[in-house]
Amino acid sequence: MGHGRYIEPPKGQYQVQSGEKLELQYVILPGESRDLEISIDLAGPGAEAHIKVLYLCKADEKVRIRVLMHHRAPGCHSTQLINGIAGGRADVRFDGTIVVAPDAQQTEAFQENHNIVLTEEAKVVTKPQLEIYADDVKCSHGATVGRLNADELFYMRSRGIPEAEARTLQMLSFLSPVIPEGREEEIESALRGL
Amino acid sequence: MSEDKQIIQQFTSGEYKEGFVTDVEQEFIPKGLNEDIVRMISARKEEPQWLLEFRLDALRKWQAMPQPEWAHLDMPEIDYQDIIYFAAPKKDKDRPKEIDPKLAETFDKLGIPLKERDVLAGVVAVDAVFDSVSVTTTFRKTLAEKGIIFCSFSEAVKEHPDLVRKYLATVVPSGDNYFAALNSAVFSDGSFCYIPKGVRCPMELSSYFRINAKGTGQFERTLIVADEDSYVSYMEGCTAPMRDERQLHAAVVEIVVEKGADVKYSTVQNWYPGDADGKGGILNLVTKRGICKGDGSHLSWTQVETGSAITWKYPSTILKGDYSSSEFYSVAVTNNHQQADTGTKMIHLGRGTKSRIVSKGISAGVSQNSYRGLVRMAKGAQNARNYSQCDSLLIGSRCGAHTFPDIQSRNPTATVEHEATTSKISEDQLFYCNQRGMGPEEAVGLIVNGYAREVLSRLPMEFAVEAQKLLQVSLEGSVG
Repeated sequence: MGHGRYIEPPKGQYQVQSGEKLELQYVILPGESRDLEISIDLAGPGAEAHIKVLYLCKADEKVRIRVLMHHRAPGCHSTQLINGIAGGRADVRFDGTIVVAPDAQQTEAFQENHNIVLTEEAKVVTKPQLEIYADDVKCSHGATVGRLNADELFYMRSRGIPEAEARTLQMLSFLSPVIPEGREEEIESALRGL
Repeated sequence: MSEDKQIIQQFTSGEYKEGFVTDVEQEFIPKGLNEDIVRMISARKEEPQWLLEFRLDALRKWQAMPQPEWAHLDMPEIDYQDIIYFAAPKKDKDRPKEIDPKLAETFDKLGIPLKERDVLAGVVAVDAVFDSVSVTTTFRKTLAEKGIIFCSFSEAVKEHPDLVRKYLATVVPSGDNYFAALNSAVFSDGSFCYIPKGVRCPMELSSYFRINAKGTGQFERTLIVADEDSYVSYMEGCTAPMRDERQLHAAVVEIVVEKGADVKYSTVQNWYPGDADGKGGILNLVTKRGICKGDGSHLSWTQVETGSAITWKYPSTILKGDYSSSEFYSVAVTNNHQQADTGTKMIHLGRGTKSRIVSKGISAGVSQNSYRGLVRMAKGAQNARNYSQCDSLLIGSRCGAHTFPDIQSRNPTATVEHEATTSKISEDQLFYCNQRGMGPEEAVGLIVNGYAREVLSRLPMEFAVEAQKLLQVSLEGSVG
C-alpha cells in the first residue's frame, strides 16, 4: 500500500550538523554519462546545504541526477540549482526530493531545475518533488524545459554578433549561476563544441 | 466583504449538513462481484448484448490487475466482495411521471432544483443520480429543440445506441487502470450529453450524484461529446450520508471535444469526509479524462475538492488537435484525517498546443494533501507550451503537503514551466484580521478564500457561492 504518512528516508551520504555548512558543486561535461546521486541530511538545527550542478550533453550521454534533501532538524536552510543543456540524442533525468520531517519547523528549502533542449532527439524528464510534514516552512521548487530565446538571438544578431557566437553567449548566461569559479573558460570552450 | 461575513456566520455550526439518510424503498442485488453480478446488472438495465460483453471484458481485465499502490495515500484494504454494486429506489414498471416525493425532498434539501419551474429562469438543466440510477433529468425538451441530448446513461444506451457505442471507452479504455476497469464492469448510471455541430448550449448542464443506501458503492459513468464548433458548460456535484463505514465511489468521466469545440467541466466534490477521528467517509477513486480531438478545441477543468476520506483523482487532457488548449484549475482542501492525491495530466501531441495548470492545496488537521501531475511534450508537439503553478497552504503543524510533478519533454521547441510553493498563513495576515475584529476562524476563512480566488472565480456562478461556503465549513475547527 502507498503511504500517506511520514516515513523516515534512509540515512544520507552527508550529515550536516548544527552550525555546519555544506557546499557541493558538480560539472558534467559533454561525453560523460553520469549517474549522480546526492543525499543530504540536515541533522542539526541551523545546518545549511547548497548544491549546484551543471550538465552539458551533445551526443548520446545518459545523465541521471538524483537529489534527496532531508530536513530533519528545525531552522535549516537548503538550496539546489541544477542547470543544463541537452543536445544530440542525450537522455537527461532529474529526480529531486525535498523532505521536511515533522517538527523541522522554520525550514527554508529551495530547488530549481532549468533545462534547455537543443535537438529533436534529446529527451529531458524532470521530477522535482516536495514532501512536507511541518507547517512553518518556506519551500519552493521550480522547473523549466525550453529552448534558447529567439528574441534574444535576434537582438544580438541585429547588433552584428554572428549567430554561433550569440548562441554561445546565451548558453553561457543561462549556465552562469552554476559555473564554478575559475572554470568559465573551460565551460565556454565546451559550449562552442556543442 | 459583508457577503463573506454572512457566509461565515451562516456556517459556523460546521457539521456535514448533507449527512442525512433518505428512507425510500430500495431494491438491491446481492453483495459481491463476479460474472453473474455483472450479468444481473446488465439484465436489470435491459442492456444490449454488446454492452454486456463490454462489461464482462472489463471485469476479466480488472480481475487480472493489481490495485495500484503508487499514490501517497494510506489506503484501507477494500473488500470488493463486500460491496453491493447496484441499488435503486423502487419504482413502478413503467417510468413514473412524477418522481418519488421523498427523493424530490432529498434533492430539495440539497438545494438541487428538480422541478423545472423552480429553476432560476432556466439556467441549469439537472440530471440527478440517486445511488445507482438516474431519477430525473430536467429540461430535456428545451434542449432537444436545439438537438442537444442530455439524459441518463441508461436512456442513452436505449435511445442513442450508435452514439454511445461510437464514443464509449474511446478516451478511457476499459483496461486503462484498476478503478476504470472496475467501473467499466459494474457502472450503474450517469449522464450522457451530446452537443451537435455548431450549437451553443443555452444553459448549464449539471449532474448531481447522491449515495444513499448502506453498504453500496457508486459507479457512475459520464460521457460528454461536443461536436464541431459547439460549446457546453457542465457541472457536477455530489454528497453522501454520514456513515461509519467506508463507501466506495469509482467513477469514469470521458469527454470528447471535436474541432473548434469548447467544453468547460466543473466539479464541486463534497462526499462525506468521515468524522473528526477519520471514521467512515467516501473513498473517491475517479478517472476523468478528455481528449481535444480536433484542431483548435478547448477543454477546461475546474474542481473544488473538499469531501471524501480519500481522493484519488487526476482529470487529464490529451491535446491531440493542433492548436488545441486545456486548463486545469483545482482547489483541494483536506482536514482531520482526510487524504488527497490529486492533480492532472496534460499530454501534448499536436502542434502549438497549450495548457495551464493552477493547483491550490490546503491541508489542516492531520491530513495529507498531494499534488501529482504529468506534463508530456511528445515529439510532434511543435511550439507547445505549458505553465504549471502548484501552491500548498499548511494550517497546523501535523498535516502534510506534497508536490509530485513529472515533466517530460521530447521536443526542443516546447516550453514547460513548473512552479510550486509551500507556506503557511502568516502571523501578520492573521494579526491584521484579528486587529480588525475578526475571530481566528473567520480570518482563516477569509485568507483561504483569497488564496483560492483564482480557481473559484473560474466556477460557474451557481457553484462559486456553494464552493466558498464549503471551503469555510471544511476548515472549521482547524485553528485555535
